[in-house]
Amino acid sequence: MKLSNRYNKANILTSIVVLIITGIIYYVVIHFILTEKLDRDLAVEENEINQYVNTFHKLPLPASYLDQQISYKTLSGIISEREFLNTIYFNPKERENEPGRSLITVVHLDGKTIEVTITKSRVESEDLIRIILLITLGITVVLLLSLLLINRFVLNRLWRPFYSTLNRMKTFEVTRMDTIEQEPTKIDEFNELNKSVNAMAERVRQDYKELKSFTDNASHEMMTPLAVINSKLDSLLQTESFTEQQGALLEDIYHATGRLSRLHQSLLLLAKIENNLIPDFQEIDLKEMVEVKGRQFQELFEKDGLSLTTNLQVVEIKMSRYLADILLNNLFSNAVRHNIIDGYIRVELSSVALIMANSGKPGNIQSKIFDRFSKSADSEGMGLGLAITKQICNLYGFRISYQEENGEHVFTVYFGD
Amino acid sequence: MKILVIEDEPALLESILAYFTGEGNICEHASDFALASEKIAVYNYDCILLDLGLPGGEGLELLTKLKQLKKRDGVLIISARHSLDDKLAGLDLGADDYLVKPFHLSELKARVSAIVRRKNFDGDNVIHFNEMAVDVSAMKINVKGNHVILTKKEFDLLVYFLSNRNKVVTKNAMAEHLWGDEMDLSDDFDFIYTHVKNLRKKLLEAGSADYLRSVYGIGYKFGDI
Repeated sequence: MKLSNRYNKANILTSIVVLIITGIIYYVVIHFILTEKLDRDLAVEENEINQYVNTFHKLPLPASYLDQQISYKTLSGIISEREFLNTIYFNPKERENEPGRSLITVVHLDGKTIEVTITKSRVESEDLIRIILLITLGITVVLLLSLLLINRFVLNRLWRPFYSTLNRMKTFEVTRMDTIEQEPTKIDEFNELNKSVNAMAERVRQDYKELKSFTDNASHEMMTPLAVINSKLDSLLQTESFTEQQGALLEDIYHATGRLSRLHQSLLLLAKIENNLIPDFQEIDLKEMVEVKGRQFQELFEKDGLSLTTNLQVVEIKMSRYLADILLNNLFSNAVRHNIIDGYIRVELSSVALIMANSGKPGNIQSKIFDRFSKSADSEGMGLGLAITKQICNLYGFRISYQEENGEHVFTVYFGD
Repeated sequence: MKILVIEDEPALLESILAYFTGEGNICEHASDFALASEKIAVYNYDCILLDLGLPGGEGLELLTKLKQLKKRDGVLIISARHSLDDKLAGLDLGADDYLVKPFHLSELKARVSAIVRRKNFDGDNVIHFNEMAVDVSAMKINVKGNHVILTKKEFDLLVYFLSNRNKVVTKNAMAEHLWGDEMDLSDDFDFIYTHVKNLRKKLLEAGSADYLRSVYGIGYKFGDI
């Protein structure tokens, strides 16, 4: 839920509750005041009747009063109390019943007790109350509407700098060296936010730069001793007169240095792909590359008695030739390395995907197959090949997936989503 | 051939010099920018091995200097930086080849030999070794007048052996030479054996002496008996 929505909701709910309560209080108070006034009028009338009776010793004529009715009733026995009550008033002009207010009182005339009922119409005061209620409701609606409008337009404008900062943070990439520009705003909080975000971005970038230059330097520095070891081994080999045992030791050292330098190059390559530092982006005939790669691996296939079947369509794709080569290398190496003797490799290429299937031992493949340094226990590789493959796919927006069924291992690279 | 090795790492320099010296090769060396530019200006070399990271200056500047001097020395860049940009920049500036550290000395020798052959023989690119005549550009081999037919890999292997004659060459280096070091090959290089065996058989059938021998199971040596 957006902050403004949340705020709107609270705001409007409170407004409605407050306005309703105010409306009720208004209604009750005004009703009370108007009834009071009617009662006072009725009392004045009663007073006039009493004076008339005292002066003229007879009852005034009922018809002589406007908008009010007076009726008399001679009482015998029980004397009723003086009281105000809500009754019905019959309007002779309109010929209809209206709500009325009556005062029942008694006058004494010639030893007789006469009950006098004075009734006045309440229509006018009811109308007044209705009008007041309508005005209150109207104000409520107008207020709510204006609140909504204010929220929609003013709040949205107020929050705009916040959202633009947020968007810039979302698209922030540590490898790109541009700064997060500020949208000018007069609001202190947003200014502070912008400042903090920029400071943070700067710090992240600085750390990243340091880390990168460290990795770069460390790698290059490491290459030189490796080169020395390698060349010394080559030189040592030329000095002859080794025993078979010494030869085996030398071979092991060769293997280890070979692995170390390959590991090193793979890590450097990964870093380069991640930072998009591979420049040669070009149109590539993937079909031709797959065919060439198949021929390159011929000896490796023959060694394990693997058969290669291909079903290739002409596919042109835009990527770095260097990375395409590595991608195919890794997929082919993987298919050879995790194969069985006299197994098979099947390559299918269409404009949708490149499918690389190979026979192999069934089961127990970890789900982290594309993670760095994840490899099966009996693998001779370094566990970086598929991580590099995945990274290359990510770089170009390809999607790579892996399935295994009944000992057939299938890697599929979808070009596009 | 006359070679200048420009390299600031003494241990590496020493190995390279030891590997290249002999068989009529003359090797000189320079371990900083100033000395290197002096030597380049005064002498002519068949090939210059150039390390890019030099004390006292950027190795690529030496290439520019060579160009200004209108020299035709072959140049092989050796760099610790596995960077496509550096490679392209170096080749643009007139370098003949680019090799990334760490490398096998045999690979270095093969590449230097290739550069020198290209520079010196102007199309007539033939390696002579005893009764053997190998025409590298035409991919033809003649042994005592017999024409030998080799596959591309066998031919490459033979040229590699000839560039490294009398040296022990590891199977690892051979595999990398034939298949490229990007291939992430397994550590088992026994499949090299088939190629070596076939090459040897074909040469023997054509009447050549048996120059190839296996060394400690690590590699092979091609050379005088």
